Amino acid sequence: MNGLAGFLDKLGAEMVQRTYEHVFLTFVAMAIAILVAVPLGIALARSRRPGLTSAIMGLAGVIQTVPSLALIALIVVVFKVVSWPTVGVVPALVALVLYALLPLLRNTYTGIRQVDEATIEVATGMGMTSGQILFQVELALALPVIMAGIRIATVWTIGIATLCGLIGAGGLGYLILQGLRSVQTDYLLAGTLPAAALALLFDGILGWVEGWLTPEGLRTKAERSK
Amino acid sequence: MIVFDHVCKSYPGGVDAVRDLTLEVNEGETLVLLGTSGCGKTTTLKMVNRLIEPTSGHIRVRGADIMPQDPIDLRRSIGYAIQDIGLFPHMTVGENIGVVPRLLRWPREEVAERVDRLLTMVGLDPADFRDRFPVQLSGGQQQRIGVARALAADPPIVLMDEPFGALDPITRERLQDEFIELESEIRKTVLFVTHDIFEAVKMGDRVALLDEGALQQLATPSELVESPANEFVDQFLGQHRFQLSLLTRTVKTLMAELPSQDLASAEAPSGPRLRARSSLVEALNMFKTTNRESLPVYESGRCLGVLQKGQLLYMITQVLGEAGEGQ
Repeated sequence: MNGLAGFLDKLGAEMVQRTYEHVFLTFVAMAIAILVAVPLGIALARSRRPGLTSAIMGLAGVIQTVPSLALIALIVVVFKVVSWPTVGVVPALVALVLYALLPLLRNTYTGIRQVDEATIEVATGMGMTSGQILFQVELALALPVIMAGIRIATVWTIGIATLCGLIGAGGLGYLILQGLRSVQTDYLLAGTLPAAALALLFDGILGWVEGWLTPEGLRTKAERSK
Repeated sequence: MIVFDHVCKSYPGGVDAVRDLTLEVNEGETLVLLGTSGCGKTTTLKMVNRLIEPTSGHIRVRGADIMPQDPIDLRRSIGYAIQDIGLFPHMTVGENIGVVPRLLRWPREEVAERVDRLLTMVGLDPADFRDRFPVQLSGGQQQRIGVARALAADPPIVLMDEPFGALDPITRERLQDEFIELESEIRKTVLFVTHDIFEAVKMGDRVALLDEGALQQLATPSELVESPANEFVDQFLGQHRFQLSLLTRTVKTLMAELPSQDLASAEAPSGPRLRARSSLVEALNMFKTTNRESLPVYESGRCLGVLQKGQLLYMITQVLGEAGEGQ
């Protein structure tokens, strides 16, 4: 048994299983992070409270500066202290969500804040309710920027999720670790290649969605004439 | 139509933006709030649609105090246009103009019809412009859309905050002329803010000059120019008095001061003609461009008489003399 056929015969089924786990981790982490960060970003942008905003942004920034391996270790330690499960999907998700917060929060905030003050003033002056301004004006204009944040966060999460193999959360990281322990190249490749492919794939898909969500009136002349 | 009754607006820290303002904007008139930046003119304007709430006093719109009213309904019944225009960049020109009619749940066809009518009204071809985006328009075109949008739901009252302020002088002049023309057809009650005295005397039926939140003078443009109420007004007019006199005196007032010429000679059916409310400057320009010695004067299609070039020049020398004495 050698070559590609042999490789797939040996590891194919496990690759599919681990890729599925990896995508599952990424999706759940992103869903939670989006549900937390996007509304929070909107609230901060509309609150016009720079003090509170920089405090929260600062906190998300600090999380980001902690190396991902250290963050996972830290979560395991903290979970141990409060006697929560230290292995499996839960601590892994917590780490991934914390990591994804910053790009989501920052892009949502920036996207809403970049909407021209004059546009908001006229919208108010013409009799739009606060909700109408949020959905018909602010979010409509901020959507491409928020989507860019989701794209960046997703690509990061796919990368960081490989580390979650360390704490028994499964995913492609598990294959990489096996390859590392037993010094077997085929295991390493079986974990690394799908992870890289996933990152490229999601970057591409979400980039396309981002373009699709950009209102025609916001596209540059060059883009429009394509 | 709009009544300010002892209205004050002060901000924490003791800044009085508007002090005890009492004035009434009559139905169908264009009242200009004039003053330097920080004089309270924009604050005054924004109190009408409750973007800013007065500290004390009452504002009545069409007889009803605005404070108990729902601000959303109030705003939808008042047109609003500002210097920065604030077109929605993600909406087409047609969608921008149709915002308030849509908020008021007009049927779709009615909104479309209204959009096309307004585009025609502001001098833009609906077929060409309806589906464009704001980025595809020049500054002047954007401002026309801003004005059309303010008029969209046919509000009886329109608030305009330096709507032509960001335009180049030539475009500004053209839009001012077009708006005066448009206004004479649709007869809205307009509250218009500007810092430009020339724009004020041109656009306004009456001008309210404000300084440090207090009303200095409320008068017609010619009253303001001819008889300033106090030192401040006098200084505000400054060295522009001569030009302003020429702008605020109309051909009609000039004709009243002069014996009218016989009408028979004026019956030139299609030649150049002066409007009775043209300013002396416009009259002078017309004499210059047509190179005539006399021009017929018309008001609503009726010939009032003839103006001789000599009479106009004599009048201008008179104004020049008065302006000289005033300084």
